[in-house]
Amino acid sequence: MPDVIVKNLPFLLHGLTLTLDLSVWSIMLGTLLGLVVGTVRFVRLPLLNTLALVYVEFIRGTPLLVVLFITYFALPALLGYRTTGYRAAIFGFVLFIGAYLAEDFRSGLRAVRPTLIQAGLATGLTRWQVLRLIILPQAIRRVLPSLFNQYVRLIKFTSVASVIGVTELTGAGLLVNAREFHPVTILAAIAIVYLVVCSALSLAGRALYAHFAVRT
Amino acid sequence: MNYHFDWTPIWAARGLIVEGLLMTIAVSAVSLAFSTVIGLVVGGAATAGSRAVRGLALLFTEMMRNIPLLIHMYIWYMALAFLRLPAFSCAVLGLSLYSGAYVAEVVRAGIGAVGRGQMQSALATGLTRFQAMRYIVYPQALRMIAPSLASLFSQLIKDSSLASVIAVGELTYQAGAIDGQTFRTFEVYITISLIYLVLVTAASQLVLLIPGSRSDLAAGRFADA
Repeated sequence: MPDVIVKNLPFLLHGLTLTLDLSVWSIMLGTLLGLVVGTVRFVRLPLLNTLALVYVEFIRGTPLLVVLFITYFALPALLGYRTTGYRAAIFGFVLFIGAYLAEDFRSGLRAVRPTLIQAGLATGLTRWQVLRLIILPQAIRRVLPSLFNQYVRLIKFTSVASVIGVTELTGAGLLVNAREFHPVTILAAIAIVYLVVCSALSLAGRALYAHFAVRT
Repeated sequence: MNYHFDWTPIWAARGLIVEGLLMTIAVSAVSLAFSTVIGLVVGGAATAGSRAVRGLALLFTEMMRNIPLLIHMYIWYMALAFLRLPAFSCAVLGLSLYSGAYVAEVVRAGIGAVGRGQMQSALATGLTRFQAMRYIVYPQALRMIAPSLASLFSQLIKDSSLASVIAVGELTYQAGAIDGQTFRTFEVYITISLIYLVLVTAASQLVLLIPGSRSDLAAGRFADA
């Protein structure tokens, strides 16, 4: 039975690289977006704060599949541009994970003790410097576990991109299955790959956190 | 932007939307019940005295959590097709096992947060281990983890949208059908995402039913698990 896997290995491996590629881009851009939105919510910039709140609440109340349908079907129809499944998937993942990460960053920022902010201001740093040099470094160390939770969640969620026709690992597996019809072998193999990738990432997260933990 | 908004086809298709909404609620409610049971049992087992039981519970949660929900559903629907389960059961099974593992993690953390002395004094007063868990440990643990449970349950409702790929006629599935008939893509998907938003917000209030959780909930309505 495993010959199905061996025979289609190059195709499946290509799917795996696409999964990793989607994950890496979405994680990098999503973290950036989350950091910006979380900081905007923390500093309470007048108009931007409301916009950020609407964005975060909207995404957090919407299933990922629907977000992908919006970036793949609805937004191109509305704004009249063309997109590919790959680009729409990354766009959707970034929007999706950005909203969750923004909340994580915001709670991390709020967990920094206010006395440190006062002390920073008293030494003559500007507000921006206090944010960048004092609050953010501590906040980021504090939110590492939740960041990695979201990253692991995102890797699993990249499987949903198969629904909008991206042949990442799940999509590739389904295609192979459509041709060969060995659902048990193929799905088991895919599940094991996800299991390994996700466990490795969450172990890495734990190790990082242990290394950088804020000792109080 | 020269897109012409036309909401009339959405209103005309309201029957389908309501049908989908009811199916979403059905899938979510059944899965919520199962995943709570799985979570309470496995989460309890993860704090058991026996090392074998703890190991099994840990293995279960790690395996269920680190496989994408979509794969869970395909496994029940395609790989185990010889069981001839209807799509609804496949969706519920996948969703319950996947979310159950998350609930188990939260329950385990909650039990760990209840002081060791509580269990010891409960045993000292003559309660059995089961009674001590049932009357002393679980009520306190549940109260503490209410905010995390709320966010897990709202995640479960959103995750139920994946049941559409195995042809369960829930909200997202019906949206695809309406989109296919009317081509009002933007209107359809905005409508259903607003419905999900309302549903999720309402459901996250469900944990208020846990006695004593009201005060903690105000502080962390959206605390993530």
